[in-house]
Amino acid sequence: MSYDTNLEEVSQGVITQAKKLGCSDVSVVVTQNHTRLVRFANNLVTLSSSVVDTSIQVYVAHQTRRAVGVTHDTSPQSLERFVARLVDSASRLAPSDDYAPLPSGPFEYPEEQNYDKRLEGEELVEHAHQAVDAALKAGAKRVAGSLQSLVRRVHVSTSAGVAGDDSSTKILLNVRAFTEDNASGHGLSCASFLSEFNPEKAGRAAGEYAKMAESPRQLEAGVYDVIFTPTVVANILPLAEAASAYLIQSGVSYFSDQLNQQVGVEALNVWDYGVYKGGLGGRRLDDEGVPTQKTEIIAKGVFRNMLHNSSTAKKFGTKTTGNAGIISPQPNTVVFGEGDSTLEEMIQETKKGLLVTNNWYTRFQNLRTGEYSTLPRDAAFSVVDGKIGEPVAGFRLSDSVLRQLKSIHLISKTRNWVEWWEVETPTLAPYMLIKDVTATVAH
Amino acid sequence: MSVSDSLDEDLCMAALDEASRLGCGYAEVRLHVNTYTGYSLRSGVTEPTVLVDSRGVGIRVICGGSLGFGATNVLSRQSVVEAVNMAVKMAKASGDGGEKYVLSAEEAVSDNWRVSEAKSLYELPSETVVSLLRDVDSASNREVKGFSFPVRLLRIDCSTEQKLYMNSEGSKISSVVPRVSFHSVFVGLRDGERVTVSVPPGYSGLGGSGGFELIEKLRLEEYVTLRLTEIATTLSSTTAPPRGERVDVILGPNVASLTSHESVGHPFEADRILGREAAQAGESYLKPGEYNIRLGGAEAYVSDDPTIPNSMGFYLYDDEGVKARRRRLLQAGYVSELLHNRATATKFAGKSNASARAVRYSVEPLIRMANTYIEPGDWSFEELLKDTRRGVYIKSFMEWNIDDKRRNQRYVGLEAFLIENGELKASVNRPILEISTPKYWSNIDARAKDLEFYSGMCGKGDPMQGAPVYFGSPHIRLRDVVLG
Repeated sequence: MSYDTNLEEVSQGVITQAKKLGCSDVSVVVTQNHTRLVRFANNLVTLSSSVVDTSIQVYVAHQTRRAVGVTHDTSPQSLERFVARLVDSASRLAPSDDYAPLPSGPFEYPEEQNYDKRLEGEELVEHAHQAVDAALKAGAKRVAGSLQSLVRRVHVSTSAGVAGDDSSTKILLNVRAFTEDNASGHGLSCASFLSEFNPEKAGRAAGEYAKMAESPRQLEAGVYDVIFTPTVVANILPLAEAASAYLIQSGVSYFSDQLNQQVGVEALNVWDYGVYKGGLGGRRLDDEGVPTQKTEIIAKGVFRNMLHNSSTAKKFGTKTTGNAGIISPQPNTVVFGEGDSTLEEMIQETKKGLLVTNNWYTRFQNLRTGEYSTLPRDAAFSVVDGKIGEPVAGFRLSDSVLRQLKSIHLISKTRNWVEWWEVETPTLAPYMLIKDVTATVAH
Repeated sequence: MSVSDSLDEDLCMAALDEASRLGCGYAEVRLHVNTYTGYSLRSGVTEPTVLVDSRGVGIRVICGGSLGFGATNVLSRQSVVEAVNMAVKMAKASGDGGEKYVLSAEEAVSDNWRVSEAKSLYELPSETVVSLLRDVDSASNREVKGFSFPVRLLRIDCSTEQKLYMNSEGSKISSVVPRVSFHSVFVGLRDGERVTVSVPPGYSGLGGSGGFELIEKLRLEEYVTLRLTEIATTLSSTTAPPRGERVDVILGPNVASLTSHESVGHPFEADRILGREAAQAGESYLKPGEYNIRLGGAEAYVSDDPTIPNSMGFYLYDDEGVKARRRRLLQAGYVSELLHNRATATKFAGKSNASARAVRYSVEPLIRMANTYIEPGDWSFEELLKDTRRGVYIKSFMEWNIDDKRRNQRYVGLEAFLIENGELKASVNRPILEISTPKYWSNIDARAKDLEFYSGMCGKGDPMQGAPVYFGSPHIRLRDVVLG
């Protein structure tokens, strides 16, 4: 299949074949991605790549027995064999109570799409150089990162007569700067529109943080009030993922049994948007062809809504929220509500605390209670009596999501888009000051 | 798509010819086919079967000294030629700001190999797998030590990876590797308390390369039941571990195996040491030019070996066409060998040791571990125990992480017991081993003979590549450790 293949024709062919094989429900999601990538390290470009990829996701229900598959092998013969194998797999399973008929339209889809035509042919190398130069100018000695542009077209068709298209673009820069003594800083620029993309700012932030973080001292274990940047908030509080009705039903979410309960402070508000206008990525319709929407997940600290597909909606006696994922509902774009504070106020408010600018390797000890630990990465600082103090290193933060949500002291008005290695769902996140976070160190 | 299809050599040849025509000093093409079928059961309910297939061509070229990569899953001659042109364009776009990419000289190879299956994964009836999962589910749906397990998530992954690799130096290698593994997660409930645990613990898996016979040999029903009983017994404990005092710690293979992967395998990847992975997967405590250092004590031995039969990370040639062999990474505490691809090998004036792997057609090969393990010693577990006066035996773990230079690691114990005068005593609740890497490897004073392996997916790269690996270890003992 070439990049210009008629997506609707391919989808209808799959639906016709699966129905002939006895399926009552079929959905087909054809995705065409063109990904350009520039990776750089030690101030040099280490790899430039361009990958064109078409994938076809097919869901079938055969007398309530279900199977779902994705194939990147899109020749007509291979696709036909794939569908036959999928239907055969489904037909061999036991009937499923989780089956729900695919929603039937007609649907009207939102007009908004985060698509910038300029990204179709944008050369990336110059942007990478801008980020590197800005970091070096800010005091870094070496700079590494990755810069990726994604042009995505999606077509969804179902046997319930639903069909729709979606297009989106993204440009994502992740940059780390290192000083002579290997102190490091991190910067991100994530956008759907070239006009919102600022590699120089990201590079400068990485370089400045690295410079500030030179010669860190070993932090003492203890309890600290911690200011988290948007990059960290988006990683340690994956609240929309935990709101998946599938995970809740499976008993592996800390939001299990918490619906309509006060899970956080009153200032905490979180939504999932199908498409956040002018934001990052998103989809107009989900994998069942249902229009995506704005769903209130947490309002004034109360866990208000789970994210549903039609299967989980049936189970919970409600309507889909347009978040299919055939098996598990998925968030599209996570948006934390803005607060009324600033980073400066957070620093001023803090007597004995930390500023953590980046993190990695978050692992949960107990998915049900949300106990986890994570490692600060790149610049971190002590905050003492309202001022940023020395850079600190050599510690991890160990806490519980549910405790943290009730210990949020301040939320910033400023929010940044985050999507990178450690955060897969595009997230608009604020700075947060969270009280009484435990820091541990190696013995 | 069937794994028995022959892969299109002419298509690969066309790619190499085009790269040559465009003046590339080096080109390689990988026709890469992956098939995956996932079977799962959620608390007795059959989940939809999941199929994932991919077939495409990845092309790497070195043009003007710079590296370019292109890929397509449209397997026509025209599309592949376009992908080569795109790879060349990308290499040239790097221009003066690009790293000069030089490969070590290696012998051209022509070979054809595959891992055999007694029970083919591709032809496996769904009913066989689901029926086995049902048996495991029934056996685990019971009360143990006051704990019930109302949530039981069981999964068996079956995959096959087929490749045809050719390069402009004359190598041509085709391979087929089937892999199968078992994973499970449970939510335990007692008196309103809920805990999530995995079997095997640490969210690892059991399995390897081969057919479904590997899963049948595991006797999963028995294994899972036994592990849940042991875990429930431990979870019932309210005894705190000795904290803040120096004790000896015996680590079970489940815990120790991961330490070899996290704190020796990863930091010994030469691309990390050279800073090439700095933006995502991180760097290393080893610095360029500082390799002949002592990291641990006389009992610190770690190897990585892709050639272990039926292992999860098994291969005979890497994705740069280099013949695989065992790499001894740590020998008596000294850094012995790093993991190299052909590019990093040149920077160390040596040969590649075949560590380059790509997990699908659309990504470049990176330096990866295969099967990393602490080498067995000559103690038995019973001897280790008997020789320990006061300590803690941490048999398995539940949470772990490590910093991005691999200097500071943490493992939270799941099944753990006090040791007093050479005997196991009460279970202890969640001992935390949070320790620096040099201290960890320096404090090992004994290794048992009982080497065990666990399977897992190792994450690295951007885009992320999850590579199938084993991590292994026997029981080991650390002296004078402080637990949290």
